[in-house]
Amino acid sequence: MKNGMVIDLDRCIGCQTCAVVCKMHNSLAPGVWWNRVFTQGTDEHQTAVGENDNLQMEFLPVSCQMCSDAACEKVCPTQASYYDQNGTVLVDYEKCIGCRYCMAACPYGVRQFNWRDPRETKAEAAHETAVALDAGLATNEAELGGVDRWSFARTQVVEAACLLGYPNPQFEGAAHHLVYTQNRPRGVVEKCTFCAQYTQNGELPACVRACPAKARSFGDLSDPTSEVSRMLASCSTVRLREDYGTEPKVYYLPPSNRKA
Amino acid sequence: MPEPTVDKISRRGFVKSCVALGGTAVLSGTIASIIGARDTDNPAFAANPDKPLRHVRSTCSPNCTGGCGMVAAVQDGKIKTIIQAADYPEVELNPRGCLKGLSMSNLVYGPNRMIVPQLRVDGSKPGTDNFTDVTWEEALDTAAVRLQEIADKYGPESIACIVQVAATGHVHKGALSRLAALAGWSMHGGYDMNGDLPMSAPMTFGVQSEENESYCWPDARYIMVFGSNLAATRIPDAHFLHEAQQAGAKMLVFDPNYSVTASKADEWHSINVGSDAAVALGMARVIIDEGLYDSNFVKIYSDLPFLIRRDTNQKLLAQDVAASAGLDVPADIPCYRRSHVFVTTDGRLRASNPQELLADVVPEHIALEGSASVQLGDGRIVEATTAFSLLRTQLEDYGLEQTEQLTGMPGADIARIARQAATTSPLHLIYGASNYQWYHGDLKGRALALLPVLTGNIGNLGGGFSTYAGQYRMRFKPAAWWKVDGKGPAFVPFEYVVHGPTETMTARFPKNGIRAWIIFCCNPFDQHNLNNQLREQKQNGHLELVINLDFQKTTSSLYSDILLPGVTWYEKTELVTSPVHQYLQLMQPAIEPVGQCRPELWIFRELARRLDTDFDQYFFPELGVEEATSEVIRLLLAQGGDEVEGITLEQLRKGPVKMHHGSYGTKRIPFYEQIHDGQPFPPVSYPEPLENTAQFVKSGRIEFYKDEPTFIELGEALPVHKAPYEETEYALDPTYRERFRFSYITRNSIHRVHSTHADNQVLLELKDHRPKLLVNPHDAAAKGVQADSKVEIYNDRGSITAFAVLDPGVKSGVVIFEEGWWQDQLNGSYNALIYPHIKPTHEVYFVPQMWSPNTNWNECLCDFRPVGVEP
Ligand code: SF4
Ligand code: SF4
Ligand code: SF4
Repeated sequence: MKNGMVIDLDRCIGCQTCAVVCKMHNSLAPGVWWNRVFTQGTDEHQTAVGENDNLQMEFLPVSCQMCSDAACEKVCPTQASYYDQNGTVLVDYEKCIGCRYCMAACPYGVRQFNWRDPRETKAEAAHETAVALDAGLATNEAELGGVDRWSFARTQVVEAACLLGYPNPQFEGAAHHLVYTQNRPRGVVEKCTFCAQYTQNGELPACVRACPAKARSFGDLSDPTSEVSRMLASCSTVRLREDYGTEPKVYYLPPSNRKA
Repeated sequence: MPEPTVDKISRRGFVKSCVALGGTAVLSGTIASIIGARDTDNPAFAANPDKPLRHVRSTCSPNCTGGCGMVAAVQDGKIKTIIQAADYPEVELNPRGCLKGLSMSNLVYGPNRMIVPQLRVDGSKPGTDNFTDVTWEEALDTAAVRLQEIADKYGPESIACIVQVAATGHVHKGALSRLAALAGWSMHGGYDMNGDLPMSAPMTFGVQSEENESYCWPDARYIMVFGSNLAATRIPDAHFLHEAQQAGAKMLVFDPNYSVTASKADEWHSINVGSDAAVALGMARVIIDEGLYDSNFVKIYSDLPFLIRRDTNQKLLAQDVAASAGLDVPADIPCYRRSHVFVTTDGRLRASNPQELLADVVPEHIALEGSASVQLGDGRIVEATTAFSLLRTQLEDYGLEQTEQLTGMPGADIARIARQAATTSPLHLIYGASNYQWYHGDLKGRALALLPVLTGNIGNLGGGFSTYAGQYRMRFKPAAWWKVDGKGPAFVPFEYVVHGPTETMTARFPKNGIRAWIIFCCNPFDQHNLNNQLREQKQNGHLELVINLDFQKTTSSLYSDILLPGVTWYEKTELVTSPVHQYLQLMQPAIEPVGQCRPELWIFRELARRLDTDFDQYFFPELGVEEATSEVIRLLLAQGGDEVEGITLEQLRKGPVKMHHGSYGTKRIPFYEQIHDGQPFPPVSYPEPLENTAQFVKSGRIEFYKDEPTFIELGEALPVHKAPYEETEYALDPTYRERFRFSYITRNSIHRVHSTHADNQVLLELKDHRPKLLVNPHDAAAKGVQADSKVEIYNDRGSITAFAVLDPGVKSGVVIFEEGWWQDQLNGSYNALIYPHIKPTHEVYFVPQMWSPNTNWNECLCDFRPVGVEP
């Protein structure tokens, strides 16, 4: 089995749903994105490129390209970055020492580093009210006759906000690699796993399930009857920077440019 | 690589944290020192046993009205993830959903989530976050006392309720309508308040609005989109446009500005601002001149064959014609219909049957064009001409050259597209809010409707005339719950609250004005025009009381006195419909209400019993709120009429259930019964009884000739193009013509449902936490504005600051502000710039949310300059 993905850029409307569902389901901390959607030729998403009547707006969702000859895997000194039996490139968070060689090596810039404990980042983002909370406590306790429901409920809300995302850890293979955990520890590198917590259990990656334009397909590239194989056989596809020789397993159907 | 800036969003301290998180930040990177700082005591390393997740299906249902089935995964009583349910039996609809719905948990547990009831601290200034937490008892008792005081002082009609988009919540939103009916309070209709009511729909078709479900889009072969950015505002549906193109359809977008939808179209035409009617009339002229129209269709279903009296410019009524003409006027015509007169090809006069469109008339025998001298009952002889002939004459003003001048579109394109549109069926014309939220939006819609009607594309699968903005429209009869013994609350159009009553109004305005509001899931203090004036009304005490029910603390909460914390669609049961698909669905509780929040039915019931012990009985007092909700749903289903006949709550608990319709096949076709069975226009628009809306098109047909005096006086009996701003901005202040030359468009962002999700952390990251103004690069250069620099957008009514984005897709002379921000995130309010111009044609009738003055968001001029530069 060789898992791969095909993204139809003609169907893609640049809606960023894939990026957001990835972020929510993989519990990414603020600032971290495993999957980004670009508008080609501009930094401002969903704005036009060109002049006058000759305008275009083309989107490019980019996550880990799941290379078959992955630069990240080659340079990893601890084999924390590795291929699972389906060819998916994963990071074992228990083995990663945070050297970030892989980040330097990856030509697609999709790996991200946990500079700090993501729980802290999330807590900060969930609330600036830690201070307000303390201030509120005193008055409320007095006013509600000592029943401090407000701070209790508020704490619960902040806690829930910090613990959004798929909650259970995912171990892979006989060696029990820890390939998903809700809050990656400080000092490890993380990236798209094709949603290991789902695909290891027979489900589709969240972005594929969620894409409202049905632009994303996932499946076994070694099975000629799979949807992805049939797409590759019947359409012309491109991969990002084929010249690097990384042999990605993420393929794109280029936009058709139907305009006259 | 520098340590990435921690992306900390603080609502109150928002402007400071404008951290650019552009894609390039992650795409660059060099290796720095190895920090080797793995923290081994992180519980991530502990092998937690898997804890089971519980999955609950609910329905995402904000004001986008998408109604997307979602499944929340719950652990320890908290939502963990949300993903599309993708359980629609018509699998083409799966998976419905978008980035907002999938990150809704950021609001459920958001930084501004309401937790407990609150009361404004005595004497504190409206607009400040100065509240005390209180118990429900205290909040509700206070609310009841204050409401009673206002009712005693000014009359209960001075208390107005606002519920947004009724069809997104039949039970809980209905509870407020029910309480308002009992208490004698007024109601503002959300559909006209939001400007979403397309006035051309009641004027032309007699309906509140109509649309194809998006599942019908692939059945069209020619799709013309005017001022609608479906790929951004109807994200779950947009794939159907692609599928239409795959099936061979052509999609054309007519919009001054380039958009995602334009980028996907086969053709994009950057027409002049406000010129949509001229485009349509230029094309209609080609279609008529070249004989490309479906003359039988026009004769049977439209009012164009009817004779118009030249003395009064009104339709000749069959009842006024002398008996000697031998007209066979149908008997028993209801008071809301009229029999009109047409001429047969052999020159005889005949009376129309407004009750039965296919009644014994051979279309080949009807003359579409011509004039006649007609003797009236009183002996006078009047000249009369068919509406079609008058239309043909009127269209002489829209030759290709003139149309090119008005629209900026090459005449050759107008002619080519007109021919293609007339010969490629089904033709589906989609007109968006950008097209019609203008003073002359009604004229645009009436002109555009000519294209599908002249070509016979109404009532056929894939064809039609659709809008997808807002959608208040109810899909079945709600009266059993929304009214009390058939009596609903009295409606007061919101526009009069900001504008003041007009001389031409037909609606009633309370004699003491509106002195208190109960607002439910609505944020008028940000999202309505002249909201600075609204804020003043609160500050100067004219608006004495505002009670706000919301699950978040929004700007409107800050202008309120009593905050009653409601719940999201993962914390209650509710019954939902949508305009874009035909499924009835439930919201279902995945979690207990957060904090002290309560489902709104509970809140209104508690308020009701405090106002009057007699009210209690109307809200299932003996049942818990979930049970009561179930009972209301059973009641609604039992008395909802044909559309929901036989559908049960138990079925809905299992998944979406498709409503019934009268068209053949699986897809619902608007106006099917009119076109195929000859039933008169209009079909009913719930919740109004038919007679209330049937009066809009008394001929029982599609009407292009409006003969109510207001239309005639304004020269708008037939659709005509009128330039924007002349009767509005320039009339109000002639200096605007020189001082404010930019069209101010506040468009929807993919990251917002209006101001819902304004504090969604993840979506804010995607917006770089920045309010943005999109401007044409040449206009920016002329003003000395650089990309990313701060600009001020202003007119005499208001001003805001935003960051400039240079977008060559924005037409020169236009600026676009992406709306949906809260007061504290902005310097000023973007809706303060917009004046509530009220067009008298909107006041010819008053039927709430069906024929009512609308907010014309786009009819607004402004200028912009770099921040810190004086004009
Ligand atoms: S969700 Fe689909 S359509 Fe939206 S940006 Fe991602 S790939 Fe494109
Ligand atoms: S894209 Fe980068 S991180 Fe992903 S497999 Fe290739 S080299 Fe490794
Ligand atoms: S926000 Fe609207 S379109 Fe998005 S998932 Fe919710 S209902 Fe659907």
